[in-house]
Amino acid sequence: MNANTQRSFESVSVGDELSPISIPITLQRLVMEAGANRDFSLIHHDRDVARSTGAADAYMNTFFISGMFERLLREWMGYTGRLNKITNLRMKVFNVVGDTVTFNGRVSELLAAEQQVVLDLWSASEQGTTVTAQATVTLTTV
Amino acid sequence: MSEASWGMYGSWQEAENFLGKVIGQDVAVDAVELGSIRRWLEPKEFACELHTDATVAKSAGFDDVVAPSTMVFTYGLPAYWAPGDGHASMGDEPRQIPIPVIFNVPAPCTLSFASNIDMEFFEPMTVGDVITRTSRLKSIEHKELRVGKGAFMAQEDTYTNQRGENVALVLLTIFRFTPPEKSRDSE
Repeated sequence: MNANTQRSFESVSVGDELSPISIPITLQRLVMEAGANRDFSLIHHDRDVARSTGAADAYMNTFFISGMFERLLREWMGYTGRLNKITNLRMKVFNVVGDTVTFNGRVSELLAAEQQVVLDLWSASEQGTTVTAQATVTLTTV
Repeated sequence: MSEASWGMYGSWQEAENFLGKVIGQDVAVDAVELGSIRRWLEPKEFACELHTDATVAKSAGFDDVVAPSTMVFTYGLPAYWAPGDGHASMGDEPRQIPIPVIFNVPAPCTLSFASNIDMEFFEPMTVGDVITRTSRLKSIEHKELRVGKGAFMAQEDTYTNQRGENVALVLLTIFRFTPPEKSRDSE
């Protein structure tokens, strides 16, 4: 991604898929993330506490997941796009230590009057689809 | 899912007394600044100069380096310890993330999970901004699920900057419940 990266509204079609991004979930990464996002809920960095609640291991929090979706969208939009909304974000399966989580997106609707693009977002791991959401972004015109 | 020690226990009538009211407000402990942005980007392997380089950010139409939009959650959090607070002792209850709908609203529930989140972004967060989060209890919808009897409780968080401009609006819906074997008579 560089300063010339810029996706225009005219270049987008319904059904376009974003380049997926994958990230391995290690306990160290969760600890780094907790320190950076300041959600110190034990379930996100203490394996024993996470397991006592029914999860297989410590798992990603909402801040981490929504941040990864923002990265996915930013790398697709470029610098001049604007993130308007992430909605209906639902966690279906825990993203736990040991999983490699892939973040995906697909254009579902174009709102020409507002130059806005609606996208379906989802993450997946070895356990299947783990999180779903929708996003709305504004792109510039050529 | 959170354990019982997280939240206040009380009746549904007590919970409904909080509807529409402010249930929590925090002024960010840290202003938006480059170091915290860099540490937030790091575990996500997120390389974007809008968040690190003022020249690039200005060429994209911003006044200065901007924080990622979803970092608003972090900038709305208070300190976990501040001068004047007591010293920790071994065995103290761990301090976790403050979620007012769980911590400050009494309800006859012992467990919870987040079911749905909606977030909308408005003014960008630029270096130097100080964010305030104001939380209101928006709704209570009673429901019995497989995990137990309880209610979907929606917390509306309004994030504003030091100029009073809206930065983000977040609707967090949490299902608070009691498993069947733990039901109490106080409902």
